[in-house]
Formats: sequence, structure tokens, C-alpha cells
Amino acid sequence: MSVSFRKKMKIFSESHKTVFVVDHCPYMAESCRQHVEFDMLVKNRTQGIIPLAPISKSLWTCSVESSMEYCRIMYDIFPFKKLVNFIVSDSGAHVLNSWTQEDQNLQELMAALAAVGPPNPRADPECCSILHGLVAAVEALCKITEYQHEARTTLMENAERVGNRGRIICITNAKSDSHVRMLEDYVQETIHEHNKLAANSDHLMQIQKCELVLIHTYPVGEDSLVSDRPKKEEEQHANTSANYDVELLHHKEAHVDFLKSGDNHMGGNSREGTFKETVTLKWCTPRTNSVELHYCTGAYRISPVDVNSRPSSCLTNFLLNGRSVLLEQPRKSGSKVISHMLSSHGGEIFLHVLSSSRSILEDPPSISEGCGGRVTDYRITDFGEFMRENRLTPFLEPRYKIDGSLEIPLERAKDQLEKHTRYWPMIISQTTIFNMQAVVPLASVIVKEAMTDEDVLNCQKTIYNLVDMERKNDPLPISTVGTRGKGPKRDEQYRIMWNELETLVRAHINNSDKHQRVLECLMACRSKPPEEEERKKRGRKREDKEDKSEKLGKDYESDKPWQESERLKGLLDREKEELAEAEVIKDSPDSPEPPNKKPLITMDEMPTVEKAKGPMSLLSLWSNRINTANSRKHQEFIGRLNSVNNKAELYQHLKEENGMEATENGKAGRQ
Amino acid sequence: MPTVVVMDVSLSMTRPVSVEGSEEYQRKHLAAHGLTMLFEHMATNYKLEFTALVVFSSLWELMVPFTRDYNTLQEALSNMDDYDKTCLESALLGVCNIVQQEWGAAIPCQVVLVTDGCLGIGRGSLRHSLATHSQRSESNRFPLPFPFPSKLYVMCMANLEELQSTDSLDCLERLIDLNNGEGQIFTIDGPLCLKNVQSMFGKLIDLAYTPFHAVLKCGHLTSDVQVFPRPEPFIIDEEIDPIPKAINTDLEIVGFVDIADISSPPVLSRHLVLPIALNREGDEVGPGITDDTEDENSANQIAGKIPNFCVLLHGSLKVEGMVALVQLGPEWYGMLYSQADSKKKSNLMMSLFEPGPEPLPWLGKMAQLGPISDAKENPYGEDDNKSPFPLQPKNKRSYAQNVTVWIKPSGLQTDVQKILRNARKLPEKTQTFYKELNRLRKAALAFGFLELLKGVADMLERECTLLPDTAHPDAAFQLSHAAQQLKVASTGASEYAAYDHNIAPLQTDFSSSSTERM
Repeated sequence: MSVSFRKKMKIFSESHKTVFVVDHCPYMAESCRQHVEFDMLVKNRTQGIIPLAPISKSLWTCSVESSMEYCRIMYDIFPFKKLVNFIVSDSGAHVLNSWTQEDQNLQELMAALAAVGPPNPRADPECCSILHGLVAAVEALCKITEYQHEARTTLMENAERVGNRGRIICITNAKSDSHVRMLEDYVQETIHEHNKLAANSDHLMQIQKCELVLIHTYPVGEDSLVSDRPKKEEEQHANTSANYDVELLHHKEAHVDFLKSGDNHMGGNSREGTFKETVTLKWCTPRTNSVELHYCTGAYRISPVDVNSRPSSCLTNFLLNGRSVLLEQPRKSGSKVISHMLSSHGGEIFLHVLSSSRSILEDPPSISEGCGGRVTDYRITDFGEFMRENRLTPFLEPRYKIDGSLEIPLERAKDQLEKHTRYWPMIISQTTIFNMQAVVPLASVIVKEAMTDEDVLNCQKTIYNLVDMERKNDPLPISTVGTRGKGPKRDEQYRIMWNELETLVRAHINNSDKHQRVLECLMACRSKPPEEEERKKRGRKREDKEDKSEKLGKDYESDKPWQESERLKGLLDREKEELAEAEVIKDSPDSPEPPNKKPLITMDEMPTVEKAKGPMSLLSLWSNRINTANSRKHQEFIGRLNSVNNKAELYQHLKEENGMEATENGKAGRQ
Repeated sequence: MPTVVVMDVSLSMTRPVSVEGSEEYQRKHLAAHGLTMLFEHMATNYKLEFTALVVFSSLWELMVPFTRDYNTLQEALSNMDDYDKTCLESALLGVCNIVQQEWGAAIPCQVVLVTDGCLGIGRGSLRHSLATHSQRSESNRFPLPFPFPSKLYVMCMANLEELQSTDSLDCLERLIDLNNGEGQIFTIDGPLCLKNVQSMFGKLIDLAYTPFHAVLKCGHLTSDVQVFPRPEPFIIDEEIDPIPKAINTDLEIVGFVDIADISSPPVLSRHLVLPIALNREGDEVGPGITDDTEDENSANQIAGKIPNFCVLLHGSLKVEGMVALVQLGPEWYGMLYSQADSKKKSNLMMSLFEPGPEPLPWLGKMAQLGPISDAKENPYGEDDNKSPFPLQPKNKRSYAQNVTVWIKPSGLQTDVQKILRNARKLPEKTQTFYKELNRLRKAALAFGFLELLKGVADMLERECTLLPDTAHPDAAFQLSHAAQQLKVASTGASEYAAYDHNIAPLQTDFSSSSTERM
């Protein structure tokens, strides 16, 4: 049933393990006979002064420099999973580092090399041999790396899939062709022997394949720069002026599209005598900024060929300072196309490959044409706020749960999203409480996993404040979208608001006892629906019941609290709708229809957590609630305050007349 | 993933098929019937797919360039003439050109080759192509494997027995092999008739053209979506894990990140995320280029008015300039973002990162990303003026750490000159002088280049003799001190030759009055 596209990739290819074996015999102390002028006197101070004699590097220095350069480039481009083991060979083998990732950096290697020092020209050449180093190299290749170990552990019974290949780069002075053959045979034999040992060991791995690169060094200006750099290519970035080319090395995948297209006669060329292929890309004037999301099909680390040259460091510093450079590639037709972007992330420079071909997703249907596209009152700003609260951050130190198990930060993030969305109406006309500034203090803390006592206090204050508002008969931002006229009456508005608030709080009561306390406070404080209304509803209840049983079977199979709230949400809509019914004109073209037209149960039918089924009178339901709330904690004063409201109202009235600020409750304060 | 239908219109396609009943069919009619079925399926369930139609015999012709207009494709099917012999190689070469011109070499394409299994005779026949395959030069390379990621589906208007009676099946199998095994051969099960052709094309549709439906989730907020083009399974490492990984049908948002922080990450593929309304039968009533049936329109209108999480998410992502990180499977992630096609039109898009625990080095391990509320203080700052990203790697790269490279003489000369320049500005530049001196010293020791240390020591001693009368007395002290220290190091023996040892400025009576201190 499925089609898969594979990307040819092997983590454990030959390049996973590279062993450098550098000859440290007395011969290597010889001069390479290439002179370096180092005393370059600054002009107009030089009269009558003879510059110091030029010096020359030893074969050893040349070898070490080039192998360090190899490592520099490799650590830049492949800082992980491509490892180097450095061995120096004289009368024995000196292994300078291990395969561990901590040992993989230039500083360590430089320090270790300094400790070895240059070869002693007066040592007995008979005692020294490159063979010691080669044996140690084969031994090293048999040793398992962290990555191999990890892969084997993960794969369990398929552990044999983890490959063990490697490469030995040996820098020495070969005396003859037969000497070279002898070295090759010797390595082969040693591999054979060590594979036998490895077969019976858990810590060693047999070598499946080994590439041996012998680099013969000898004086007379022969530059022993390692020219075998697999998987890398260079690239020139011609700054506007031609003499500012910066040659960069990177993974060859970065030009795969270009090379495959056969369109490489313009910029691509193989440099004579090397295995590198060069693609010239031009610095492109249009700037890009960090908030632009480019369609990028690959990003590869780069390393400048001449790292300390002026043009190189100009470019790298420019990029390290946070700027990006777009690069364009010439095409057969003579046109140019932006094909790459250089950009640094955390001090590492990457070459991003930008897609330059026609998009197969062009001219898609706009989101406004699809499902939900006609709805115009999404809570875009609120969801933006939600997203900002649910941004991610790295937790690098391991954290542990109370039971001692490791806590995975990403799972925490998912948990938080679950909590924050238990009750989250998507559109403005579906909610009252989220349009009220007065509810914010409660809404922002009730979603938390754990609340402080202060949080609880704030929630209670919020509730008292709402009670206050109701007493003062403050208007509520009940949506009148799709309705004409005044909408529901004020007391009806408050009933809707209280119901919704209860839904929100109920969705979180299982978080902690403190959440429970907020609900208790809410239940104790919210206005009691008048007796009259209850009776009116009973009539409606019967017809709704049928729909309910039908719906319950279908949609609400599980009994998660949030689904309850979904139901409540629908219920609220239904109520709003009913109230507005008489005056609603539904086919106004610009206004969306009331969101949910399905008949739903009413609020009062909500089964409580304890007693889920069976008919129950409203009165007993109500008194149950009050009783449980009161029995847990006495909120009598507030309860009484709530029911005997004469005194308080009078007091409030006075306050208002004195010009005291009424509580803000509109959407106005929130944009 | 665009499709190229390559239709054989050679004479052999006109061979009659004995069908029970009155009407007489030719193989090309069966082929057209099958393709009609494919096009109809695409028009309803895979509307955004671009398809081109190529016909071929000894020549080839692009009948319909890449289009989403399936009526045009359908019409072209009924306007096909009969031509001479089958010459597959040139047709495949044509496909190469058409695809590369339109899409480049990076976009995966599906090639549906419809033929009767008569592969031509003589020069240009598949047999001939395969026989000469090993003698090709780069200039007349066989078109397979295609230079773009591809699948080659061969739809044979013949049953297996018929193909096996000649070497046709072997040849076609070799063709798939040449495409690195990417593709499949379909044959008709049983007698050649409309029904069996339908069932063969049904298999192709199941394999390659079933829409990908998923549920996008952010906690309890959810939406049914179609992901187009459908995400194909991916092989992470051929050797270690050769089983292709497919993405979940639950796309779970794990959190949000600013666009500047995710900064144009590399992705495997991108996809439109289109909200759909599933009706009872599970058919989608959805987006796409609308058909003109009235039912669908009214259904679309109703669906348009029901609030959908995708639209909310898209709107907020667009306004805030953020992306949502989404989990696609175990250790596989992607991102959702708003993509503007034009000023008016924009869409919710999903890009897939390469599978693995750490697809983006600058975000670190995905499993280590947690909610900001768990941090001691908000890593984005109270005024939203900071960011915890990008993560810094443990080791700096060579271009960011002032490495020493002397492979070219100019590198060495620059470093020596730096020392010299500072030497002439002693004692003001004491600190930089010793910093550069120690940098050179370390590199020379590591490279076993002790001669350089001697040389620079000599040079500093000479500078000492060249100091003008007006020079600060401290300069001479520092120069001879530095020269002497280098000389000691150049013997390579004493503790002063230790790599970690640093030459410190000489404490003189003057140095206390010097403005610069170590």
C-alpha cells in the first residue's frame, strides 16, 4: 500500500572511522627543503637591515600540519559521527586520542602532538617502524565507537546490522614499490588476525572494510597536502568584485540537484589534479531576513578552504554576526537562479539549499475556501497568545519525576497543551468569559497543573468580582452576532456566563485540591436560577432527551471531562440561540450562522461526577452541589452575602453614584 | 508528486480483444478505460496532482503538458491515433526531458507506462536497448535510472501468461531494476476485459494515489485533514534500519517556535494541510479545485461555516510569525506554518524534517524541548526580547576559534607580522603581543616546528636593538624576555616547552605604571 523513496545513506560507512598514522622516525626530522620567508619587514623601516634567513619545515611538520588541516575541515563539516583516531609511530605506537566524541577536537590533538614533539634525528632508525602504528590502527578500528555501541544497543537482536568499516591514512616515507606492497600486505594480515580476536569479543568489532591511504612524503618541494577528501566539494563565492572569492568546502549533497540536472557546464569544473569539484555561486544582492521561511531542501556545514585569509574571515564574520547571504547559480540559458543561502546558527555556518524548481503545490486552494474558511470571528489574537505561552525551550539537564523516572520535556509540553485546551472555544461568538477582561485572572491560572494559594485567592477574587458585576447589573459581552435587537436579557446573560465559567473550572478540578476549591467557591457564589425558569426548562428537557441519547451513543463514547465541556459549549450555543430565536435573521450574508444548530441537552441535565445516571430533580441536584461545597469548606458568609443582597446592592449603588470606576468587562481592554 | 502517463500508441495496441458480448475492443480501448478510471479518481480524490500525458511509438509526443485539468486529459485519451512500432527508449528519454524542464531533478515523479508488452523490434526496441546497455557512453546514457526520484509503474494490457510466453516480462523487470528497483509491473489477472483492467488500475490507485487523511491535534483541539501530496515512507539508514518509516495519521502538535528561531530549516518534503469534513461514509467533503456539482457546492458551503481548528491555527501562525512543531512518529517531527501563495491566498503547510532525535542542530534534541512554564524564568524574556535558540555547539568551528594554519606561507607570515606590529607598540600592546606570541608558540610546538620559535626569538632580539631612543624602557625588557622564553621553548626539553605553559609578561618596575595589565 505504500511507496517509499530512499535516500542512500549509511551512518557506518568508511568515513565513520579514520585513523591517522604518522611516521615519527628520525628521517621525518629532515627538512622538506621548502623555504618559508617569515621575516617580512614592514616598509620604510628596513634600511640597512638584512632580513633573517628563511626557515624550512621538517617532513614531520608538513605531515602534522596537513593531517591537522584534514581534521579541521572534517570537524567543521562533520562534527558528529565522523571520528578520527591519531597515532604516531616510532619505536612503538603512540595513540593520541580515542574514538569518544570528547576527544574529537583540534585543541586536544594539538596538545597531544606537542607532547610527542618532533622526531629525534639522532634516534636509532632501526628501532623505529611505521608498522607499530599500522597495527595500532587496525586495533583501533576494531574498537567500538559510542555511536556503534548505541546503535547496537538500540537494534538488540539486529545488532549485526551495525557496520564496522574504516580508513587508515598513513603518512610515511616509502622506500620502494615493494615496500608499499609490504605495508599493504601487512595491514591485510593484521586485519585478518584481529578479526579473529574480535569475533570472540563483545567490545571489539570485526573490520568489514578498510581503506588504506598511503601518503609518501619526501623532500624537494613535494607538498604532502592530503588530497583525498572524499565527500567534499568546494565552492567559490564570488563577491561582487572578482578578487574576493571565498572557497568553501561542504557535503556534496548540497549540489546534487545541480549536478544531476546536467546543467554544470557553466559553473562546475573539476580542478586539475584534485578530486574536488567546484561550483561557482555568486553573492546575490537581495537581502533576506530572519523572519522569512525559505523552502530549504538541505543544510550542510561549511568550512573555508583558506580559513584565515581576509576574504574568508570577512565572509565568516559577516555570517557569524547573524546575517544571511543568498547565492545565485548561473543556468544554461544564461539566466540566474537563487539556489543557496549561507546562514549561521549558534556559531555554525550552514549552506542551505533552496528549492529553485517549480512548486508542485502552486496555486493551492486558499484556506478561506475550505472547511471553516467562511467563519470570520476566530479568536486569532487569543490563540496567538496561547501559542506564545506554549512555546518551547530546551532543557538540557535531565529532570526526574517524583517517582524517580526520567522526565521527558517534550511530554511535559504535550501535557500542557492538553491542559490548556480542555475548554477552548475557537470563535468569539462561542464564548462570553474569554471576551471578559474580568475573567482573565482566573482563566490564566486555572489551566495550571498546580496552583499556589495566591492563585486560588485570585480566582476567588475574580469570582467575587463577577458576583459584584452581576449585582450591579453590568452588561456582558454576549455575542449578538447573527441576532438583531438587544439579545438575551441581562440575567440570562449572567446565567450563560456562569455556566461557561463553571465548564472551564470543572475541566480542571482533577488537577489538584486547590482547583477543587475554586469550583466550590464558584458554586457557592454563582447566582441561583429563579424557580420559575427551572419549571420552564423542564418542558424543554423532555424533547432534548431523545437527541441526547442518540448523540451520546455516537459522539461521546468516552467520558473525558473536556468532552463534557464540549457538550456544554453546544448547550450554551443552543441556549443563546433559543433566546435570540424570535429576533434572529439568519440569512444575513456577512454573518456566519450560529455555530451549532443541533439540539442539545441543557445545562441542568449535566450529570454530576458522582451520580452519573438516573433521573434527578433539579432541586436535589442543586442542593447536592451546595451541600458538598459547604461541607468541604464553609463559605457561609459569601453564600449568605449572595442570597441576601439588599444591603450590598445599596452600598454598590452609592459607590457608583460617587463616580467610582465600574469594573471593566468588555473586550475593549483586550484589543 | 507529479505524474507522467506514457501511453503506447503503436500498432500492436490495436490488437483486438475477444470480449463476450457484441462490442469489439482493442487493447488501446482497455488502456483508455483504465486511464479514465485513474483520471476520475484523481479528479475527485487527488485534485492537486499535476499530470502530463505522453504518447509514443517510434516517436513521442507530449499530448497534454502538466495540468490539474482532468477533463483535458480525458479528452486527449479519445483523440489518439495509431502509429507504427514501439520504441520505449526514446519515449523514456522524452519523459526525462519533460520532467526536468518542468520540475528540476529534486521533485519525485511517478511515471505510469501503459503498454501491451510488445516491446518493439530492431533498433530502438527495449530488447535492443537492454542488449546495448553495457556499451553506453555518458553521452548516450540510457534514460534509466531517471535523474529525479521516481517510481516507474508499468501497466500491461496483457496477462502474465502472455508476457511470460515471450521475454517481455524479463525485459520489463530489467527496466525496473535499471530504475534502481523503483517501480512495479502490473498485469491483468485473468482474461482481458474491462472489469479486469479496472481491477488492475484499482491496484495502482491503492498503491500510489490514495489520499492521506490524518487528524491534526493540539491537545483537545482537532481537525480532520488531508495531507497533500501524501507523505511517502522514508528509509532512515539502509543498513541499520531498512524498513521504511511512515508518518502517523495522528499529527500531534507539541509546541510552538518563532520563525526566526527555526530559521529556514532543511526539510524532506512539504505538504498542504487541508481541513476536510468527513461525512458518515468517510468520504471527504473537502477542499481542492471545486467541481461543479451542486451537491458538493452546498456541502462545501456548510463545511465552510463550521469553525475549523486548521483555520484558527493558520491565522494565528500567520499573525504571530510562528511555526508549530508537530510529531509525526517516534523520533520524527515536522513543522506547520502559514505559506502565502500570493497576497490574497495563503495556506497551512507542513514540512517534514529528516527522521531522528535531533533534526535541527540549532534546536537540539527534540525530546529535550519542554514548556517555558517549566523554566525558572521565561527564556523569551518578560518583554519577549530574548530567545533560548539557537543552541550553541560544545566546540566552536575552526572559523570561529582563531585556529592556526600555516600550510600556505602567507598564513605564517601574517601571524609573525601580527607579533611584530604589536612588538613595536610596546608597552601599550603588551597584552595583545603576548596573546599572539603564545598562539604562535602553541602551534609551533604542536607542529614540531621548533625552528620557527628560534627564528622569531632572533627577530625579537633584533627588534630590541632597533628600538628608538624615545621608546619606553619597558619595551626592551619585554622583547628580550619574550625572546629568551621562546628560545627555551625551542629546545623542546624544559618545562617551558610544555604546551599549556604560557609566556607571561615580565614584571618590571615600569609595568606597574603601564596602562595595560595582564
